[in-house]
Amino acid sequence: MSFLKRAGLYCLRQRFKTIILFLVLTLIATFMLTGIAIRDAAKGAAADVQTAIGGKIELNLDTEGHMGSGQQNGWGTVYGYNGDLITQDIVKAISKVNGVVDYNSEDTAAYYGAGVDFKYLPAAFGLSYTPYGESSAYTATLSSGKCSSFQSGKYKLVDGRHITPDDEHACLISKELADYNKLSVGDKVKMYSLDSDAISEFEIVGIFDGTEGASGNALTVDEIPANCGYIDCATLFEMFGDELNGYQQLTIYVEDPVSVQNVYDRISALPELKGKSLKLSIDTDEYDVVSTPLESLQKLVNTTIVMIAVVSACVLTLLLTIWIRGRKKEIGILLSIGKSKANIILQLFTETFAAAVIAFGASVPFSNLIAAKAGALLVSRVTRGTANLNVKIDAAYLLPLYLIGILLIAMSVIASSWTVVRSKPKDILAKMS
Amino acid sequence: MRILEARNMKYSYDGNKAVLKNISIEFEAGKIYAILGPSGCGKTTLLSLLGGLDSPSDGQVLFEGEDIEKKGLAFHRKNNVAFIFQSYNLIDYMTPAENVALTSKLPPLPILERLGFTKEEAKRNVLKLSGGQQQRVAIARALASDAKVILADEPTGSLDEDTAVEITGILRECAHQMQKCVVIVTHSNDLSKQADVVLRLKKGELVQI
Repeated sequence: MSFLKRAGLYCLRQRFKTIILFLVLTLIATFMLTGIAIRDAAKGAAADVQTAIGGKIELNLDTEGHMGSGQQNGWGTVYGYNGDLITQDIVKAISKVNGVVDYNSEDTAAYYGAGVDFKYLPAAFGLSYTPYGESSAYTATLSSGKCSSFQSGKYKLVDGRHITPDDEHACLISKELADYNKLSVGDKVKMYSLDSDAISEFEIVGIFDGTEGASGNALTVDEIPANCGYIDCATLFEMFGDELNGYQQLTIYVEDPVSVQNVYDRISALPELKGKSLKLSIDTDEYDVVSTPLESLQKLVNTTIVMIAVVSACVLTLLLTIWIRGRKKEIGILLSIGKSKANIILQLFTETFAAAVIAFGASVPFSNLIAAKAGALLVSRVTRGTANLNVKIDAAYLLPLYLIGILLIAMSVIASSWTVVRSKPKDILAKMS
Repeated sequence: MRILEARNMKYSYDGNKAVLKNISIEFEAGKIYAILGPSGCGKTTLLSLLGGLDSPSDGQVLFEGEDIEKKGLAFHRKNNVAFIFQSYNLIDYMTPAENVALTSKLPPLPILERLGFTKEEAKRNVLKLSGGQQQRVAIARALASDAKVILADEPTGSLDEDTAVEITGILRECAHQMQKCVVIVTHSNDLSKQADVVLRLKKGELVQI
């Protein structure tokens, strides 16, 4: 009679023990499966955060030691930056670096324009220091969608599109300003700059909202957020020519924050940056805020899985040891009729594994019930609500469960049966009689 | 025909007390051997060594002229010998047919039927059988293994007189009709009278009577 048939007969005839074994294994598998699923969900959430946030590298002007000797004017001593700017060549070289997915320059209040053919929302003081009235501030940008107000969700594009690096004479204005002047996407507006003493024409490529109710008691028009907008960098360069032949700042976006250091190293090595008075730095603050708790959760769950595995192995070994002691006579009989030790251990393993096959399958719905709740509880405790877990257990989880299960059962069966199986059959049978 | 042989066989527990002293004996097919001796003299130990349940401290056990250690004791137990114990030693969650099938060289039902079992009895749980029936299952298991040597340790020790006679008859049949070598360890004079050769184990030495 083969060990498979003997194992089958044992499982069928010793139903009470088989049911207890089934229940214990179902419990173990449910804990294991829940742990594995939460760990994977935390891993997935961290990956999603990585993709959503991305990594950032900042390139700024190094003002230290490059502010000139100072010049006297009517307001006092004025120091001007006399170092290197971030040129188009540098931006082009950076854009080609492997791992760089996007870049942006956001130069706040880089341009002040007075409305030639439109009016700003009025402030407390109606100062008219240009022929066209008061000026308001515009942020010069390569990609307005990457600007901080849009990234944070403060502003939202409601019509048209964002400014892109290829744009010239393009602007974004607020919905409030557009409504005030009955302007819409595609309209052209003229602005006068006191600094360049020139009128420039801009096409409204997009309209954003989010400024509503933020004007307060503004004294000047540029203090009203609805009057401030965005223009492209190319037009700024065109207006100021050699005076402004580079960007003040550049934010470089990396797809995966984990690889940000590699991208940083590649950018640092660019010949275009060698010897330039520019500062390169990594900005992972945003990613760290979300990812650190998720990594802690993964470590916590990993430790829990290992603990569950160890405790499970101990419980299973204890249970099997008690039962196998009660089967000494049977083992002695099998040894006396010439069954090998390996054959007997295989029978014991098969009996437990047969119960495990059904128990592991049954643990999937149980695990699904508790994993989502346990995951939500853990993630709220560990991440303090900065991340969400999507815990789902499907058939794909059964493979690792069976592999871990086979290992656990094999270890437990060998440990619990070893002292009996290694005894001489004569000694076992002598004790039995 | 010589089938099983003990050659200069010694056995002692933990190297101290000598239980068996330089035993040399030959067993032939078609004969019943009875080994007598007082309790604790080493009869069961001798049977265990002949059956490969343990190894002698010194000397050899040979089956058909070959040292049983050569192919391994498990091989010897599986292919050459079959045991019948006083306490039957049946697996309690199996039926008689399944217990007999454990050794599986011959189909169990015809053997059980030959030993007086009905088909229904052969499918009952062994614990529901009488002592005599359980011992007959143990004999059937020994026969099913088709081993040339049957080693029986007090096979009638737990049975009433009538059943003991019946079991003795079966063992005689095994030896004289099936040409098996039957070695019986016993206290029973009745059983020893049925043996072809009677041996006595005394103070570790085996003497033919």
